[in-house]
Amino acid sequence: MSAAPPLIRIDSLVKQYTRDTQVLTVLDKLSLTVDEGDFMALMGPSGSGKTTLLNLIAGIDRPTSGRIVVGGQEVSTMSEGALAKWRSANVGFIFQLYNLVPVLTAFENVELPLLLTNLNRARRKKQAELALSVVGLTDRMDHYPRQLSGGQEQRVAIARAIATDPKLLVADEPTGDLDAKNGDEILTLMERLNAEFKKTIVMVTHDPKAASRAHRLVHLDKGVLKEDVHAERGKAVGMAAAVSASST
Amino acid sequence: MKLLPLILKNAFRKKTRTLLTIGSIVLPLLVICLMGTFLKALEAPDPKTVHGSFRLVVRHRVSMTSSLPAAYEEKVRQLPGVEAVSDFNFFGGRYRDAGARNMFMRAAVDPGTILNVFDEAKIVEGSARDWREDRTGCIVGTNLAAKYGWKLGDRVVLVGDVFPMTLELTIRGVYYLENGTSATLFFDRRLIDERFPSFKGSVSTIWIKAKDAAASERLGPLIDAMFENSPYPTKTETENAFRNGMVSMLGNVKLLMTSIGVVIVAVILLIAGNTMAMAARERITEIAVFRTLGFQKSTILALVLGESVLIALASGVFGILIFVAAEPTLKRLLILSPMSSLAATFRVYPEVLTLAFALAAGIGVLAGLVPALRSASRSIVDGLRQVT
Repeated sequence: MSAAPPLIRIDSLVKQYTRDTQVLTVLDKLSLTVDEGDFMALMGPSGSGKTTLLNLIAGIDRPTSGRIVVGGQEVSTMSEGALAKWRSANVGFIFQLYNLVPVLTAFENVELPLLLTNLNRARRKKQAELALSVVGLTDRMDHYPRQLSGGQEQRVAIARAIATDPKLLVADEPTGDLDAKNGDEILTLMERLNAEFKKTIVMVTHDPKAASRAHRLVHLDKGVLKEDVHAERGKAVGMAAAVSASST
Repeated sequence: MKLLPLILKNAFRKKTRTLLTIGSIVLPLLVICLMGTFLKALEAPDPKTVHGSFRLVVRHRVSMTSSLPAAYEEKVRQLPGVEAVSDFNFFGGRYRDAGARNMFMRAAVDPGTILNVFDEAKIVEGSARDWREDRTGCIVGTNLAAKYGWKLGDRVVLVGDVFPMTLELTIRGVYYLENGTSATLFFDRRLIDERFPSFKGSVSTIWIKAKDAAASERLGPLIDAMFENSPYPTKTETENAFRNGMVSMLGNVKLLMTSIGVVIVAVILLIAGNTMAMAARERITEIAVFRTLGFQKSTILALVLGESVLIALASGVFGILIFVAAEPTLKRLLILSPMSSLAATFRVYPEVLTLAFALAAGIGVLAGLVPALRSASRSIVDGLRQVT
């Protein structure tokens, strides 16, 4: 029996930025695969290329060279319009600072990506309510972001990310702006999305504790993959701490 | 259509700023409506002519300040097609003080003939006979009577400047014109003739009522030809042209108003453009998030541009509604101003409102275009990095 193809396949990925005349290599011939249903944490010191890699996987940035294939589609060669369409259907984003639209209610924020679909109003409403129920915020759907706590805002952001039912969730420091308790709740929610709703999650984090909740830990340093550790769920705390310690 | 609620929410995200922006567009639009209406009023056909009362004005060809012999009046009266003739002499002077508030037309006329030329004037209080029988009598327009609270028998004291004399007049009649421009005081010219004998036999202008349109067209050149080789050559024109000539003495009014209008539009454009640029700048991260979610560049362009156009159109609608609501008041003020003759054709012109609305829409597009293009073309990664 042959194994299922990985959801994400990255081959010889190079990302360079040019500042004046200086060429800065952020990712250097990086290759990586992520299986469907995986929960992967990306760690590394600042400037190691974690967020750049995340952006490239999510199709909001372009590689200098190399290939990125997600769900069988090569995103690195897609046109900008096609990429936007692809993102709306296949990727959910979770940001450190939640990035909710302040003039929209929680419900409207969650409905936002659904405006790009062909769903009618009633279907959009049903879908948005479903996403809010998954994150346990149906009672706050008419609240504006300013009326919510940080943890609640992040849960709304997660509901927005799953509203279109994408296979892949990318999270950039999702607990970076939260206290320990709220951070823990968010990670539990992400674990649930991974386990129960089969979402593949790629999460950038500085926090070894957050990384320990993932099934796999990838450590980047100066644009190069240093460690790639697969762990049993619930046994990754020591692993993350060890990786974190080895990088400092 | 799915995006309209989003555009609306964005437009009123900062209510104070949006309202101030709307205000900054509405006020100049009002000025544009006002100037446009002035220009239209200047060019509009004389409603009296349209209604069949064809009036011509004969004046000295060289200057308004030069007089004509009163004898011309009789010569003109003999011409075929002339229905009525009267002279009309500008008195000037002041009432109470020289302030603009108390400026109104004061004319020394022949009480026996003037109402034959201005036959649409209806005496609504007192009578023409009472006026004719009282040499120090006068008749005033309903607007003037209302403004000053004048009643029959009230005394009006005018202090002359061109004619240095003090007139103590008694109101013997109040007249009304259908076009609402009843704001002139008419008194008997003999008061001036008696005080200044040298003026006797002279007239400032001669006013003619022609029998019909054909006569009106024919009489002008005929009269001017008749007096061409005299020491007092004439210029005969329609009442409308005469009125415009009076206004044009202020300079090239049309060019002036158009220039001011262009400057106003440029200023609004800068204000609205700055506001939209500011609004878009504040939302760089948010726009990046929209694009991350899958919103196309064209949709972002539509969102930002839509917001700008929405604000501008709302301003256009407000501006137009306010102008339409204010028009009767503006007309009343105009009637009581030295430019009262324009009031007859001062009204709401649909083409002026259309122009104002089109300007508002154009301002919306132009002001929003650059911020919209910049928002749509900024890289998502750069947008997400932005600290707002």
